[in-house]
Parts: sequence; structure tokens; C-alpha cells
Amino acid sequence: MSDLVSNLSLGFGVALSLQNLGLAFLGCLVGTLIGVLPGVGPIATIAMLLPITFGLDPVGALIMLAGIYYGAQYGGSTTAILVNIPGEATSVVTTLDGHQMARQGRAGVALGIAAIGSFFAGTVATLVIAALGAPLTRLALIFGPAEYFSLMVMGLVFAVVLARGSILKAVAMILVGVLLSTVGTDLETGEERMTFGLPFLSDGIDFAVLAMGIFGIAEILRNLDQTETRDVVRQAIGRLLPNRDDFKQSYASVLRGTVIGSILGILPGNGAVLGPFASYTVEKKLAKDPSRFGRGAIEGVAGPESANNAGAQTSFIPLLTLGIPPNAVMALMVGAMTIHGIVPGPQVMTRNPNLFWGMIASMWVGNLMLLIINLPLIGMWVRLLKVPYRLMFPAILMFCCIGIYSINSLPTDVVFIGLFGLVGYLLITLGFEPAPMLLGFVLGKLMEENLRRALILSRGSLSTFIERPVSAGLLAVAIVLLVLALLPSVRKGRDEVFTE
Amino acid sequence: MSHSHERPKEQERRGFVRGAQDFAGGIFLLLLAALGLWLMRGLPQGRLSAMGPAMLPDWLSIGVGLCGVALLVNGLLKHGAALERWSLRGPVFIILAILAFAATIRPLSLGGFSLPGLGMIVAGPLAILIGGCATPEARLRELVILSLSLTPFCMLLFGDMLNLPIPVFPQALTGLFPAGWSQKDILRACSAIMAAAALIMFLTGRRRHTTKVDVAIETEQG
Repeated sequence: MSDLVSNLSLGFGVALSLQNLGLAFLGCLVGTLIGVLPGVGPIATIAMLLPITFGLDPVGALIMLAGIYYGAQYGGSTTAILVNIPGEATSVVTTLDGHQMARQGRAGVALGIAAIGSFFAGTVATLVIAALGAPLTRLALIFGPAEYFSLMVMGLVFAVVLARGSILKAVAMILVGVLLSTVGTDLETGEERMTFGLPFLSDGIDFAVLAMGIFGIAEILRNLDQTETRDVVRQAIGRLLPNRDDFKQSYASVLRGTVIGSILGILPGNGAVLGPFASYTVEKKLAKDPSRFGRGAIEGVAGPESANNAGAQTSFIPLLTLGIPPNAVMALMVGAMTIHGIVPGPQVMTRNPNLFWGMIASMWVGNLMLLIINLPLIGMWVRLLKVPYRLMFPAILMFCCIGIYSINSLPTDVVFIGLFGLVGYLLITLGFEPAPMLLGFVLGKLMEENLRRALILSRGSLSTFIERPVSAGLLAVAIVLLVLALLPSVRKGRDEVFTE
Repeated sequence: MSHSHERPKEQERRGFVRGAQDFAGGIFLLLLAALGLWLMRGLPQGRLSAMGPAMLPDWLSIGVGLCGVALLVNGLLKHGAALERWSLRGPVFIILAILAFAATIRPLSLGGFSLPGLGMIVAGPLAILIGGCATPEARLRELVILSLSLTPFCMLLFGDMLNLPIPVFPQALTGLFPAGWSQKDILRACSAIMAAAALIMFLTGRRRHTTKVDVAIETEQG
């Protein structure tokens, strides 16, 4: 316990320095600014804004990036409530009741409770990370390559189970993602794989390029197909602070959402996505009058938003303790860390305690800033959201080009976001969901490396994955999950959760 | 055929393909798998105890191919979603815009063809103007104003404040300014000129088209 306190005070010492406070503020502000744009989720936002952190020291850069991440998340919720367009998968749920509240002239209350719930969830999640960080890091030390491989398999199975639509298509997307990650020079043998003989492919495909293509450009292409029916609230925003009745109705939802989100966020394989859905379902089940849901029930905003933020934060845990990015956003964080010469994993905590605890403390600071920045700025976001899409997408397009060019100064990267944009657009029209592919890509290199090592250690015997108890346990969980997801009754329930 | 009247006519006419989306998806995966296997030909698979470079990619390609076959069969047997209609305009202009940006941001030589590095001052507006045409609602005047105001903003942000190594303007431009001016001075001067031009265009346009613009906004909101 005293460890926890001293670690956190070290962290706050770092995070509360004037420079880092400023960076967290700036990160939250620009993150929200870009995240508010419809069709731009946290992934595209972070990829776009990655270059602006290059000139900073590692601690400052990561603090700013974390700020951008929270800002983008909150910006997505703002868009969901005010315009009924979810910025990303996790804010789909917020559109249901949030936008209805906005139509009833209670947009301010919806945004307020979202911010307050998120802040509470963020505070709890920060403590969870601080408390779990050290023990989980010790756990990581007993993990060998076989365990790492099995853990990642479990993560990918999770992603399949959590993907919307056909399970077969999700499996295919995961495989394609891992396949894409093998492009480039094979680290072990030095052979070039699938590079078409092109020199810029020999380092492999840059994750930021793939993410920006699939989530930035493809999203523009998809939005262009739909005729614009943006439904910006025309009602007054109303008062921002929820009153006592609102609090009474929603505090339990916030608590439940926080617990659900924190637990799901720790799971590898983007468990955080499930948080808002699970929370919404729970709230609806527990409500005395479920018919209020979908018609502007404040619990339907408070619970999922808290779950969303808690999950967004606890998903740092697998990255910081095991070095495994559980979702695409965390993969971008890996990219940012590597640029600054930090290899994510259990050693970060011991080697760079400043960075580790500073970042954790800055998460809390970031959440507080969001509360302070966003509530007064809502009027500005509303005006921004009234800009028609025909003007918005060329701006997004230019930001994408400049952002991706400045990461590596390679014009080929710019061309490749176009190519991946086309591929992403094709995938969407064919009914494939790109998110599992990205996760497969993220974990692919690590998986191959660990598979290889595990097999070298076992002299080529595949039974090593079953003989080692931890690895066997992880694989068993993966199989159970997959079987469950394929059972007809569970499948029906799963479809219901996602279509609700 | 008891349920045939529920199906839209279009799908019945398609004949043996019942779920066009799944069918096309299956073909896409098969092509991808074939591409993967073809690109990896000649590289050794190795053994499990010493995996070669091709082992994982080969097996992944086979897995992708199997998924493709399953989807294809699914598309033949089960009624499913049809393919959505998609227009060419969006993808064509967006890709052209991206290519234009990539070609002009720094010196390019492709075969016998070469371009001097024109920098963000040209690449940015090009991306906005070409990309903006991706929607049928594009209006040239708006796009010009947008590009003239966003480009200086990005130039100042990325080139001046953040010092990123991104080319901002062509070297030939240096000759137009007094010899003592530094790169940053020129950058700021260019930004100021562009921003002023955007402002002038915005104001003159506003005076002339006041009524027109209002009508347009109303129809959008209605």
C-alpha cells in the first residue's frame, strides 16, 4: 500500500510539472478537436496527431498522446450525442439514448453526465492500473514464449467473438491481418517476404499507415457514399450540470459501468469494445421501466460512457505490463514508444519509473482536464459540427496526408494510405469488419517471434503449448470462448447485443 | 418456393449466386490467398524446430483460402446480403488527391519524368481541391477558400511551431524575397499572404452572394 502511495506521488510529481500539464491540456484539446469531426475515431486521430509529439521528450510525448486519446474518445461521445453519428464502435451505444436526450433539449445534461461519469471511471481505472501494475509485471516474468503465444491466440479469439456479423469473416480478417504483418524482411533468416522487390516494403508495413488508410481514408470513402443526413441538434443545449434527480438516477449506473468497463478493458483482444454494450444491456435489464431506454434515459448514457472510459484506460494494462497491445490504439502507442526508444513491456516500470508512473498519473490529470475543457467548449463543438461534410472531408484528407508524411518523410507512405483506404473500402462493401484485421496485424509479428522461440525451445514439438499449464489454460479459455460463440443460442444473444 | 415472394426480384434473377456479398468476399479472399502463396514461392518452409521464412505466411494464406472457400459456398447456398451499389467518383478523386500530394510534396523522378519539390504550399491546396471534387456537391469557390486558409494554418503549425522536417515551399520561391530573409520569415510571409487572400475571397463572396448562401443553408437544415 505504501508502495502504491509513493509510486503515485512520484507519478504526480512528474505529471503536475508545468510543462507536462500544458502538454496534457494541449493533447486533450486537439484530440477533442479532431475527434469531434464525424467519421474520425480515436485511431485516425492518434495516427494523424502522432507527428506533433515527435519533438518532445518521451515522458511528455506519451502524456500528450494519452491526452489526445482521451480527447478523441470524448470527442466521439460528443458527436454521438449531438449528431447521432458514432465516431467509433464504442460510442454506438451512446447515440441511442444520448441523442434522444439531445432532441429533448437535454444535450447539456447528457454531455455533462458523460463527462462526469467518465471522470469518475477514469479515476477508478487509474487506481486499478496503479494497483495492478506491479503484480502483473511480476506475472509477466514467469511468462515464456509459449505462454505469450497462447495469450495472443486467446486475444485474437476474443476479437473474433467480439466482432460484429459473421464469425467466419472475422476469422478471415484476423488471418489476413497476421499475414500482412509478415510482409517485409524476416527477422530470423533475413529473407524478404512479399515485398514485390520494393525497397520501402522491406521494413514491413507501417502500422500507422495501415491504420490511417483503413480508419481515415476508407471512412471518408464510405461516408461519401451516403447522402448526407446529419442531424445536428437544433434544440438548446440546456444546462450542463445534471441536477440532483439526474445524479440520483445515474450514480448506480456509473458505478456499474466503471466496474464492467475496468474488467473488460484488461482482457486482451480489445475487450474494451464490449464494455459499453455490456453496460447498456445490464442497465436495461436492471431498470424498473426498460421501455424508457432508447427514449433518452440518462442511465443509458451514464453507464456506457463510464464503461467506455474505464475500459479505454485499463486497456493500458496489458501494454504496460506484458508488452502486448490489446487494441489498435495501444498499437499506435507502441509505435510512439518505439520512436522514443522505449520498448513496452514489464521492464518499462523498473527502468523508467518516471515514465510509467508519470503516464499513469497523467491519465487522471487528462480526465480532469477533459471535464474542465469540454463543458465550456460545447458551444464551439456544436458550431464545428454544423460545418457540412463537403468541406470537412477535404480538410480531414489533407491532415491525413500531412500527418502520415511527417512520420517517416516518405511520399510512398502517403500513396499507401490511399491504397489501404481503397482496400478498407472494399472490405466494408464486402461486409468484412476491418478492426479484427488490425488486431491481427498488431499481434502478428510478436506471435511469429514467440511461436518460433517456443518451438525452438521444445525442439519442434507442438505439445509444448499443452504441456505448460499456463499456456494450456489460456488455450482452453480460447477454445471455450470460440465454442460458446458458435453455439446457436449464444450467437443469437450476441447478435442482439450488437444490434440493440 | 413458399417464401419466394418475400425476396426482391433482383436477387431471384441472379440465378445460382444467392448471397452476392458473401460470394464476392469469398473470391476476394481466394485471390488474396493465391497472391500470398505466389509471392512466397521459392522460400523455404523449414521445420517446426527451425521455422523457415515461408512457414507462417504459407499456412496463413492457406487458412485465408479456406475461409474464402467457405464464404463462397455460403454465398452459393444461403440467401444473404446483396452487394451495395458504389460510385466511382469518390474513390477516384480521393486517390488522385493523395497521389497529387505525394508527387508534389518533395522532388519526384519517375523514369524520365521529374518534378521539383513544391512543398506543402502546393501539395496541401492540391489535395483539398482535387479531393473536394469527390462529392457531387463540391463548390469550387468554397474549396479555394478552404485551401487558402487551412494550408497556412498547417504551414505555421507543422513547419514553424513544431519544426517537423516537412518541405513547405519550393526553393525557387526564395529568390522572390529579399536576400536577408530566413526560411522561417518566408514561411510566415507566405502564410500571411494566403490567409489574407482567403479572407478577401471570403468577404467579397459574402457580400455578393448573401441571399444565395442563406438559401443553401436553409435547405441543408430542412
